[in-house]
Amino acid sequence: MLWVAQVLGISLVLTLSPLMWGITQTTKARLQGRRGPSVWLMYWVMKKNWHKETTVPEFSSIIFRLAPSMTLAPLLVVLITIPIAGRVPALWPHNMLTVFFLLALERFWTGLAGLDSAGTFGGMGASRATTLGTGIEPALFAALGIFWEVSRHAAIEPLAPALRTNPASLFPWALASVSLALVLLAEWGRLPVDNPDTHLELTMIHEATLLEYDGRFLALSQWAMTLKITVLATLGWVILGPNLSSLWSNLALRLAEVTVTTVALGLIESRFTKLRFFQIPAYLAAAAGIGILAFYLLAGGLTV
Amino acid sequence: MPKSWIAANLEYKKAGYELLSYLATREGRLHATWLNPVDREQKDVSTQVVDNHFPSLTRQLPEVAWDEREIHDLFGYRPEGHPDLRPLIRTPRWPHDFYPLRTRSNIPPQWLDVEPDNPAKTVTGDGITIMKVGPTHAGIIESGHFVFSLIGENVLYLDAHLFQNHRGVELLLEDRTIEDVRRIVSRICAGDSVSHQTNWALAVETLARWTAEPPLALRRIILLECERVLSHLNDLAQIPAGVGFQRAHQLALAIKEYWQQGLKRLFGHRFLFDTVRPGEAAATTPDDLGALVRELRRRWVPWRRLVEAHHGFNDRMAGVGIVKPQDVTRFGAQGVVARAAGKALDARSILPLYDDMAVQFIQESAGDVKARFYVRVAELEESLRLLEESARRLRRWGSNDSSPFIEDPSDLSGRTVTFTESPHGLNVHDITLARGRVTRYHIRAGTYRNWPLLAHTVPGNAVADFPLINKSFELCYSCVDR
Repeated sequence: MLWVAQVLGISLVLTLSPLMWGITQTTKARLQGRRGPSVWLMYWVMKKNWHKETTVPEFSSIIFRLAPSMTLAPLLVVLITIPIAGRVPALWPHNMLTVFFLLALERFWTGLAGLDSAGTFGGMGASRATTLGTGIEPALFAALGIFWEVSRHAAIEPLAPALRTNPASLFPWALASVSLALVLLAEWGRLPVDNPDTHLELTMIHEATLLEYDGRFLALSQWAMTLKITVLATLGWVILGPNLSSLWSNLALRLAEVTVTTVALGLIESRFTKLRFFQIPAYLAAAAGIGILAFYLLAGGLTV
Repeated sequence: MPKSWIAANLEYKKAGYELLSYLATREGRLHATWLNPVDREQKDVSTQVVDNHFPSLTRQLPEVAWDEREIHDLFGYRPEGHPDLRPLIRTPRWPHDFYPLRTRSNIPPQWLDVEPDNPAKTVTGDGITIMKVGPTHAGIIESGHFVFSLIGENVLYLDAHLFQNHRGVELLLEDRTIEDVRRIVSRICAGDSVSHQTNWALAVETLARWTAEPPLALRRIILLECERVLSHLNDLAQIPAGVGFQRAHQLALAIKEYWQQGLKRLFGHRFLFDTVRPGEAAATTPDDLGALVRELRRRWVPWRRLVEAHHGFNDRMAGVGIVKPQDVTRFGAQGVVARAAGKALDARSILPLYDDMAVQFIQESAGDVKARFYVRVAELEESLRLLEESARRLRRWGSNDSSPFIEDPSDLSGRTVTFTESPHGLNVHDITLARGRVTRYHIRAGTYRNWPLLAHTVPGNAVADFPLINKSFELCYSCVDR
């Protein structure tokens, strides 16, 4: 039964992530006074790109062609390891440190792809994305550090049981949630850090690394982009969210939680403008600081 | 003789005159027309091109750098001593003896089979990246090629190559009759159409020694202010997009769309094409105008509150793209750009048309994106007030029409320089007619002075702020690429 629940959870994330993207876009459109395109638009766009001719810049190498798969693959592995229904079958590999390094791998290949596209915008996007990465990683590490503290090993497990046994950990839990939310906005390339909807090449971060892609490569990159949001949102809710007793109600709960996240993402993006690039380190430092604070509070709270 | 050409022009510049037009003619005459903003007198300085050469003013008067390059490209007159005589409009594909405004040939030349790009000015050295943007952009905008020299995220130098879609409007207008000119002038630029049309109408009326009576003047004011509201709404909508403030961007575009539908209903055209002609202007009723403005205010007020209260948005605009007061003078900056940097120049204060209207002129001193944004906000509200005042006067005057315009336009001759304050600044037409036909038509829109200033302002800012700075200038390409 555990196996069925896990496979079902994974398939749901894989198939619904473009829809989640659409929900965010629709939320934003409504707040802008527009009807906006269909929530299913991303499926159509990916299908269209998949059937288009795929071209490759003249001066690029094999790296350019590998990059779309190499950014998608780490996200798929992360997805598989998440105990989506709250528990995983015995001997299922699920490790926080693996997640951390897989995300670093994904970021690394995004940067390489931008550089290897041999265009100025790609190089600029890669440089910005990598600069951001140096701020995102410590913040993410601090936010995830909580779970070593709770479980005393690096497994991905819900934090909820620890909260039940120790009410003092409620405050650190809240801090950790804030920290994770801040760092995920940056990791997803959303406002106030990056604007996924802009056509202004000079301001782009993540999009700039994809400018030279088309056809199947672009379709893969778009799927990766939508998956990144859904996968990491699921991971965050598994760790920090409530945990029910039944596997199936947990799955339904995840679905609701991720949908709420995508709507919230639309609300947040409508509220904020993009930060100046040189202010982003301060933003990420705040995220890391909150995470570290949560870590120490929790460490103190649990050992008392 | 050459010395006095430079000295005379400098004298007017130092006396605070505004350069209206820098005109070259096929006969080898150069005219610089200066306007005294106080007593409204125009002064003409002229010289003769000798052996296709003339003394350049650019070293003393940097604002004419582009005018002289343009004369060099289109007439082949060489400004001696010009510091940067790279082609402005010419491309390497033009044959060497092809000077469209001098030769006036109707047969298109044999284009040379070479690469079309002009050489760019860049910075060289370690760690410097050259970034080329355009001429085709991702958004639906006009064509401009920008070559940035960057060090990291910072701009060291910007070389702007406009004139990618040069249409040859000035040549197109030559030999046209008065009726033909109107339609072309109306379409020089969709952003400043009424201003261009009014310049043409004023020119014909001036040469015919005919003055518009108050009801006609009022109709023109209404059209000019309607255009200003439209243009400012568009610019105010674009600036938030530069920092990812999509909500303000889209909501303002919706207000602009409402306004354009209203213009279509009242005057028959979304961009107010063909609304002003010599002796005439499109009319509306006070009730329609009043209702249009009232509804606009209802939509505008919440939007203004949204942007004024938004900390992140105001923070992003502050201190970015600062135009210094000395550069305003040096480059002869116009319109919102000049007024946001402390220069009190609004042609409405010089134009007899507006004498009955107590226009309140807006000025800021910071010179940054934020100042330009809020100058537009205040000017838009002032234009709405003027429109409401106009509606009141329309109601008071009823539909009494002024005396009809002329006679036979076919014997109009002479040269006149007319101007209006377009949404993008002082817009000037230098027109010469002979027996009712155009012999020379020179257009110098407000943006013509502001483009070189933009290129000068950007260095020192982050390259990611360029779209924001660019949108706060919101310069028109087609007024320049005419």
